[in-house]
Amino acid sequence: MAHQADFAIRTQGLTKRYRDVGALVDLDLEVTAGEVIGYLGPNGAGKTTTIRLLLGLARPSGGRAELFGVDCVRRPVEAHQRVAVVPGEANLWPELTGAETLHLLGRVHGRVDEAYRDELIGRFELDPSKKVRAYSRGNRQKVLLIGALMTRADLLLLDEPTSGLDPLMEQSFRVSIGEARERGQTVFLSSHVLSEVEALCDRVAILRQGRLVEVGSLGQMRHLSAVTVEATVAGAMPDLDGVEGLGGVAIQGKALRCQVHGPIEPLLAVLMKSGVESLLIREPSLEELFLALYGQNSYHAEEH
Amino acid sequence: MAVAVASPTVTRPTAKARTVIARRTARRSLRSAVLWGYVFGVTVASSAYSYTTIYKTASERQRLDAVFGANRAVAALFGPAVHLDTVPGFTAYKSSMAVMIIGAVWGLMHSTRLLRGEEDAGRWDLLVSGETTLRQAVLQALSGFAAAAALVWAITFVITAAVGQASSVRIGVSASLYLATALVSSAVIFLAVGALTSQLAANRRRASSYAGVVLGISYGLRMVGDAVPGLHWLVWTSPLGWVEELRPLTGSRPMAFLPIAAFTLAAALAAIHFAGRRDVGGSILAERSSREARLRTLTGPFGLTFRLMLSSIISWVVAVAIGGALVGITAQAAGSTVVGSSVEQVFTRLGAAGAGAKAFLGVIFVILAMTVGYQAATQLSLMRSEEAGGRADHLLVGNVSRSRWFTGWLLAIALSLLASSLAAGLFTWAGASFQGSGLGIWSSLAAGMNIFPPALFILGTGALALGFLPRFAGAVMYTVLGWSALVELVGGFVGESHWALDTSLFHQMSAAPAVAPNWQTGAVLAGLGILMAIVGHQALLRRDLQQE
Repeated sequence: MAHQADFAIRTQGLTKRYRDVGALVDLDLEVTAGEVIGYLGPNGAGKTTTIRLLLGLARPSGGRAELFGVDCVRRPVEAHQRVAVVPGEANLWPELTGAETLHLLGRVHGRVDEAYRDELIGRFELDPSKKVRAYSRGNRQKVLLIGALMTRADLLLLDEPTSGLDPLMEQSFRVSIGEARERGQTVFLSSHVLSEVEALCDRVAILRQGRLVEVGSLGQMRHLSAVTVEATVAGAMPDLDGVEGLGGVAIQGKALRCQVHGPIEPLLAVLMKSGVESLLIREPSLEELFLALYGQNSYHAEEH
Repeated sequence: MAVAVASPTVTRPTAKARTVIARRTARRSLRSAVLWGYVFGVTVASSAYSYTTIYKTASERQRLDAVFGANRAVAALFGPAVHLDTVPGFTAYKSSMAVMIIGAVWGLMHSTRLLRGEEDAGRWDLLVSGETTLRQAVLQALSGFAAAAALVWAITFVITAAVGQASSVRIGVSASLYLATALVSSAVIFLAVGALTSQLAANRRRASSYAGVVLGISYGLRMVGDAVPGLHWLVWTSPLGWVEELRPLTGSRPMAFLPIAAFTLAAALAAIHFAGRRDVGGSILAERSSREARLRTLTGPFGLTFRLMLSSIISWVVAVAIGGALVGITAQAAGSTVVGSSVEQVFTRLGAAGAGAKAFLGVIFVILAMTVGYQAATQLSLMRSEEAGGRADHLLVGNVSRSRWFTGWLLAIALSLLASSLAAGLFTWAGASFQGSGLGIWSSLAAGMNIFPPALFILGTGALALGFLPRFAGAVMYTVLGWSALVELVGGFVGESHWALDTSLFHQMSAAPAVAPNWQTGAVLAGLGILMAIVGHQALLRRDLQQE
């Protein structure tokens, strides 16, 4: 059984209500130290609210949250000692330069790996002599990323960290998160970029309307969803009506594309009767899992 | 066979779409325009009524005219006093300078907020990406300001005309029209000046500062012109001087509208011209985009607070010091005229008993207390903007507790208020010594220290509001400040019961150096301020941080 302090993040029944609206409802989440976890959900699902509650910036309406066993509400400064953050909005002091901002963030955190900071400045191609006012949105995001990564904190709380970055810088970000993982740092990655989460995360947690609806590894979650089958048969396309678990069937001549929920053997048995010329079975991507979980309509309904 | 091809429907921009920025600007100006129109009107009304209440006999009125009308020091501060033996003459004298300054400050703050401030926040990117250009957008915003100024004018006129109907006042409709136009002129000028500096400067603070410099020079030129014999022509070099030369109700000079109109039009056209020569978010006066890092003071949250407040601290201390020195210089001349029973009566009601330079300075230090109270309100608003803008989050997710952030800011603001208070005392003494008024340094410094507790009280109200209702912290402070200032200034002349005057914060302080500072009252005011800050602190610990 894991010790309390082995959890980088632990929430029990964590709830935040704004008047009658539940922004986050009964969140039970455990993130073990050294894990890289993706935190997904459409706009307004409660991702940023979770991070603000973990940081003590917002007060929970119910439940509790701990970082490395320290209560986030009662002892916020102690809880922050092993944490570095990239907030969702890149709001910085416009009159300070990048170097001054990084210096200040380091002073506020209390611990900076200066050699690594300089390496990150080079990796992200940041000109630290510029004033924040003169930075583009992407460059302000780089300052925040470098400010968090340079601390080598045990837990990185990242809220949409690659927002505004170009693809090359996104790659640099992935390299940096890989280094953090190798050092045993815990990463809590709230993101809309599903390919990024798929590439970086050990586990994924998915929120919907303030409630946690799925937590698990991608492998575990794929079992919950359909696989995609693309096949070409030699003879006439057989009758697929009796095959269980079939969905999204598209037939064009002798070519078939469909999704299969559950065992694939019944479909293969029917296809074999007409002779299979080619067969491709593909597991769902995180994006497909995400969309399957929400459905296009509910996703957009939730955004509004 | 001919085939009809349906072309995509293109909607032509409607007049509504083409004027969206103008209407938005007008709508966002509505509240402050109504407020200031009301304040201007009430100032005129209270001036007229106070005169008819206090100066009832012809001999009293003639004495007032003889005392103030010939005094160049008073003219330097508040403009020339002409025909003080009549209701219109006193009304114009009493209301013109205050409204002229308030109107100018509102004009420049309002236009820089809605032009450069909106651009700083990135909202103009969206507006200008519509079917318009930056040049047209500025033109539209100026149209919105014109609508706002018209509303201020209309409300001022309606109140003035209504008051003018009273048999004891007798200000005709056409005279009311002229007075309202004169009173709104400085606001119109500085709306245009603010629009111009918004094109020149790279951010709102700079834009406001540049427009503030224009206002300061303008005030200084007319002050010297009014005070020094032979230099009256200087009044005609100053926008505020032109407004003064309109002379409403006391021998109108409509020709002064010509430079006012020409200057305003030139500033507005220059703003439109420069808007077309820059990028959205850019500025005509280039700002250095990079520099060497200055890390020495950036040691933590307090160092950051100091850095963020530095320009505000310097501006306020310098402004208070210059103001103190100027009134110090004029104290001897002005004080010697405080001998009429009516004037003494007014001064006594304001707490500055007696006559001479000290009585005059007693009233002046009450005005300085209002200034330092305003400083407290603006600096606490700066603190609130750190939370509202999400920048405080970067500190509070580190090793900085909410208590440390809150107390650090309040301490820095309190020290800044203390510096301004002491500067007021020191420089007023320096100015007064120059004229040999006999004001001792310790007496002047004590008078300076005496304005510190009311400022702490204002700061306390802001801190309390910040704890419970952070979005309204500014409104709460400005309401306390505005009400107290209005009651104190108007009430002193109106001569109403002490009940009204007692609701003014500034009436609680003793009018040092006219009388000895009452340190017990000061301690109570400061104590209440600290108590409110403690309650606000406890509330802050229990609420969410609120961004805007």
